[in-house]
Amino acid sequence: MDTNKKSSKLAIVVIIAYLLIPLVMTLIYSLFEEWIDILPRNFTLNAYIEIFSDAVFWISVGRTILISVVPIILCTIIVLLAMYVTYIYKPEWDKYIQILCTIPYAVQGVILPICVLALYTSVPKPFNNRIFLLISTYMIVILPYIYQGIRNNLQGIGAKKIIEAAQMLGASKFYAFFRVVVPNIMNGVTVSIMLSMAIIFGDFVIVNTLAGGHFQTAQMYLYDVMKKSGQRTCAVIIVLFLITLLISACAFFIQRKKKEEA
Amino acid sequence: MNNKKTYLFALIPFLVLCILFELIPIIYTSVRSFVPEGKDIGFTFENYINIFSKTLYQKAIVNSLLISILSSIIGLIVAFIGAKAVHESKGKLNNIFMSILNMVSNFSGVPLAFAYIIMFGNVGVMTMIGSNYGIEFLANFPLYSVWGLLLIYVYFQIPLSTLLLIPAFDAIRKEWKESNALLGGTNFTFWTKIGIPILMPSILSTFSVLFANALAAYASAYALLMNNVSLLPIRLSEQFVGDLVQRPEFGSAIAVVLIVFMIIAIMIQNKLTVKKGI
Repeated sequence: MDTNKKSSKLAIVVIIAYLLIPLVMTLIYSLFEEWIDILPRNFTLNAYIEIFSDAVFWISVGRTILISVVPIILCTIIVLLAMYVTYIYKPEWDKYIQILCTIPYAVQGVILPICVLALYTSVPKPFNNRIFLLISTYMIVILPYIYQGIRNNLQGIGAKKIIEAAQMLGASKFYAFFRVVVPNIMNGVTVSIMLSMAIIFGDFVIVNTLAGGHFQTAQMYLYDVMKKSGQRTCAVIIVLFLITLLISACAFFIQRKKKEEA
Repeated sequence: MNNKKTYLFALIPFLVLCILFELIPIIYTSVRSFVPEGKDIGFTFENYINIFSKTLYQKAIVNSLLISILSSIIGLIVAFIGAKAVHESKGKLNNIFMSILNMVSNFSGVPLAFAYIIMFGNVGVMTMIGSNYGIEFLANFPLYSVWGLLLIYVYFQIPLSTLLLIPAFDAIRKEWKESNALLGGTNFTFWTKIGIPILMPSILSTFSVLFANALAAYASAYALLMNNVSLLPIRLSEQFVGDLVQRPEFGSAIAVVLIVFMIIAIMIQNKLTVKKGI
């Protein structure tokens, strides 16, 4: 059993190393003027100073956060509402919900934004508003992850029995679902939410297709810098990465706090 | 009776979203793929015939399928090892691993492609080290090719697949392992006879997620090779956006071909999962 544990630890460490190498290389590259041999030369923070003093960069980061958070909140609420109906009242409808939540798999990546773009560019306001299109498309993109997260967790905690118990104690179905079951599954759903956040935060294709130059997110900023300077590009990548890390840390923190309160 | 049905209102936002931004765009694209190029109305199979008869697009199909299947399989193998390790060792390292997986799942698309460019690109660090010390493999690393892309695709498949597989391992109970040991089974027989069969639905559904993820991936390929690589998503996008003459009807047909490939993957997975359920 002990050797088993050791090999498990080793496997994890090897995968971690593999996943971190490109990141670490990017970090080092952003900190040195020249790297053409084993060791990089001439340490500098110039690339970071340039980015931090660039207002355009900060505005684009703000846009990215806004455009990630809004669709995630809306999508989670919408799916919870739909699951309230199918889980408690109409279990036979769940398969249709599931189909609707599986379709985004079939149109992910470049396909959905192209379909949306082809359809909505020629329709009247407000449907051709780029931000509106972007938020709605993001909601569809993260739908499978949010749905699956919520569904798995509902089954995982045995929500049916909890609702029955709550009803026996006099709670309404609505109360039982949203005040008893939902707070209990949100911990598990946070994983889906974080996955969604990662997807939208790292998105280039959807924003590039739907908004083009009209809505410069951090990824679009990055793509612009890429054509100019390698070192600065690496610095932007690292900064964006740290921001994502901060968001994840916040999510974990909120999650833990809720757990303590409960 | 009417009063009791009020709960149905809760379904409306979901339906509106799905109809407006999922169903109608897909139906519109599908219908348009049968319209002759440059016309508003009509019916033709010409767009589809063009995709499957022109070498340029045939190559895109082959490359896309190859890179998607290979990267999914490799990603899944690594994910299985990783998720199994998490399942078997509880503790701090697991938390670190989970955090890193969440972290690097954001590391895809343009940033990832650029990280590989600085490592293995024309003037990349590894490439320079390779040529300085006569390591042929590094000096001539084929990053700007389908194989280079495969390397990048495998990287972004690993965090996603591991994050999807880890929860599945919760289904494996300690008691089963003990029963297996009591009946004389080894660790190997446990996984081949009990563990993997139980996890199979999760493994297959993860595969389908990975396959679709790779098949429609665009940003990494675009950042690395612009439009100079024959992949379906690149060919699709260039019909609608960019410098080339826009061909929305032909592009719609490419979109439909891509969708069909992904539906096949999802259907195969569903079928296998159902069989396992019986």
